[in-house]
Amino acid sequence: MTTLSPLIHVVDDDESLRTALLRLLDAAGFEARGYASTGDFLLRPPPDRPGCVLLDVRMPGPSGLDLQAALRCQGSPLPVVFLTGYADVAASVRAMKAGAVDFLTKPVEREALFEALQRALDRDAAQRAARAEAKRLRAAFAALTPRERAVFDRIVAGQINKQIADALGIAERTVKLQRAQLMAKLGANSAAELGRLAERLQHLPD
Amino acid sequence: MPTASPNARSSLVWLLVACGFLLAPAALAGETRHVLVLYSNHRLLPANLEFEAGLRETLADSTELSAEFLDYPRFDGASYIRALALFLNEKYARRPPGVLVAAGEESLDFLLRHRAELFPRIPMVHGAVARSFLSSLPPLPADVVGVPIEYDFPGTIDLALRWHPRARRLVVVTGTSAQDHAWEAKLRGEISQFQDRVTVEFLVGLPTDAILKRLSELGGDAVVFTPGYFEDGVGRQFSPREAARLMAAAAAAPVYGPFDTFIGTGIVGGSMPNFGAMGRQAGEIANALLAGVAPTALRLPEIMLPTVNVDWRQVRRWDIDANAIPGDAIVRFKEPTFLEAHRNEAIMAAAVFLLQAGLIAWLLVERRRRRLANLAVQQQRFELAHAARLAVAGELTGAIAHEINQPLGAILSNADTADLLLASGADQRDELRAILADIRRDDLRASVVIQRLRALLARQPVERQPFDLNSAVREMEPVLQPEARRRGVALEVRPAATTAPLVGDRVQIQQVLLNLVLNALDAVNGLPEARRTVAVSVERDADRVILVVRDRGHGIAPEHLPKLFDSFFSTKRRGMGLGLSIARTLVEVHGGRIRAESRLGEGAVFQAEWPVAGDAGSLGPA
Repeated sequence: MTTLSPLIHVVDDDESLRTALLRLLDAAGFEARGYASTGDFLLRPPPDRPGCVLLDVRMPGPSGLDLQAALRCQGSPLPVVFLTGYADVAASVRAMKAGAVDFLTKPVEREALFEALQRALDRDAAQRAARAEAKRLRAAFAALTPRERAVFDRIVAGQINKQIADALGIAERTVKLQRAQLMAKLGANSAAELGRLAERLQHLPD
Repeated sequence: MPTASPNARSSLVWLLVACGFLLAPAALAGETRHVLVLYSNHRLLPANLEFEAGLRETLADSTELSAEFLDYPRFDGASYIRALALFLNEKYARRPPGVLVAAGEESLDFLLRHRAELFPRIPMVHGAVARSFLSSLPPLPADVVGVPIEYDFPGTIDLALRWHPRARRLVVVTGTSAQDHAWEAKLRGEISQFQDRVTVEFLVGLPTDAILKRLSELGGDAVVFTPGYFEDGVGRQFSPREAARLMAAAAAAPVYGPFDTFIGTGIVGGSMPNFGAMGRQAGEIANALLAGVAPTALRLPEIMLPTVNVDWRQVRRWDIDANAIPGDAIVRFKEPTFLEAHRNEAIMAAAVFLLQAGLIAWLLVERRRRRLANLAVQQQRFELAHAARLAVAGELTGAIAHEINQPLGAILSNADTADLLLASGADQRDELRAILADIRRDDLRASVVIQRLRALLARQPVERQPFDLNSAVREMEPVLQPEARRRGVALEVRPAATTAPLVGDRVQIQQVLLNLVLNALDAVNGLPEARRTVAVSVERDADRVILVVRDRGHGIAPEHLPKLFDSFFSTKRRGMGLGLSIARTLVEVHGGRIRAESRLGEGAVFQAEWPVAGDAGSLGPA
């Protein structure tokens, strides 16, 4: 699996500003792509790459807030940094509640912009890592045999080998073997670790 | 007839009694106040008329006044006098007067001769009798009293010479009747005192025509004196007054006379006894005598003093020094000054005039105050309009900030980029040049917005400049479009195909547009996207420039339409109700009008129209 560099999506209807932002991000070493409207962004779905969205609030047609909501409905939401010409309180509250990384006003200081974007990218990276881990976990869990799955459930429920053997009507030695196999499959070293895994499996992100 | 004697005696008694009864009314008649005045001359002589007027004025109303005339000097002679005496005797036998008045010297002379037979023991008053005449008579009886006069010939001549200091000739005119000769004699005796001052010429006994011709030929060095005459050289009869009139009319020199009846004939004046005063004096004496005062008990002045009488018109005509006229002179025919003649009217007129002047002044002050008030009102309207613009600016803050921050953001980003590029050390000249070009462009973009805002918000003096409504509307787009965008409304701006010339204050017209558009934006708020549209257009026909703002909102309720442009009328929850009222004021100040049409549920159209500005550019009230 190759590690792709992050891509920053700049959505702003003001061409002049958009150009300036793209130019700045380029000079700072970011890879960035511009969109003139919300629709433009949605029509050109970004490749599955790490990144974030630098989003204007007010635009003709659907606003930045609308786009933010649309992104959340997608499976892999890109973190959003808002950049607005006029920070009205209502819009900023709504944006932050919806999970925006930051709500910046134009004109924006370079450091503040980079810092916010960096946080967005970090969050994206973290989300991506979490999603990859969950995916791996689910795959591993899916690889368990039905018997191993039954043993796992009972270990997580706090039963000891003898109880499990009795409940399943198998030998305690068989339970020990299967326990070792499933711990190897799941990459866990202890019953406590298995418990945490079970916890995480229950609350995995999509 | 013996038997008849007692009867005869008693008849006699009865007759006496009857006579007593018959006499009684006569005695009573004597008791009634009856004054008989006898004039020397005929009854229409002006002197007589004035005398009698004075007499009547003084006598009590109940006193009966009879007048008789000797008609001297026209009628004369012993038989005439006898006949006249007989006539008077017959006439007044039954109605004897209580007092006799002798008016004139001839009358006095006649009555003194005939009183005993005609009016025995009737007291007598004389008037208009010269002192010189009295002194020629034997002393008067005690019951004949009066105040003598003096015909002041020398006083009159002296007056004439004083008023005409350059006069070198004195022309004296007299007539041919007995009276005329008497006056001539009097004059010749008195004239000597003037002979060292002037040459005296007598015109005596000439025909009137000749007299008038001579007088008309006089030069500026002459003055004329005449007592008038009763008869001229050819025997024509005149009243002295008539004669004086003819002379004064003909003479090329000022004419003076001694009788106050001459005043008004054209003579200048003279020192004159006053016939009216003589009549009054005689009347007072008659009153006293009728009241039973003994004639000897009366305290009478020694003489009726003459007074200077003067005709003001002649004073002017002959250019006589007004200062030479004595203060007690009776000035006649002086055009009274306006105030003297019409004092009350003048006071009234002055009062009315002052009242009117005051009223006019008050009205002028009022008018000025009203004008100032109007100016103040207009000023306040403009202040209000300005305040409204500020309020609108508050509403637009978001859009405006957005519009300015956009280029500012771009500028900052570009500057940062340039910074980074320079720091990297790489040769990025082309990139830097592009960045600088963008910075410049964004800077100008921001400044255009700020200029527009400044023009809209600054408290500028109201201008009256020709401008094109199209460009004024287009200038507002940077302000209007962001706001429309912010509210998610599609705003379409469509100028007219041709120029739309107006004269007035561009900013005020833009404010009208702003108010109408903001209203329209409010009207479509919350509606589905397809209806969130506002269209602004400028239209132009032959004589009108029209600004139309159309929305597809809910429309205006019919009952609200008439009140739409009233102040403080608003259907909005937070509306002040001033926007449209201010818009109307601003439209009308520019000589235009504004109206709204709406179909409920389909939207509204606001239309402001002005007459096309001609070359004169005379829009709106001055």
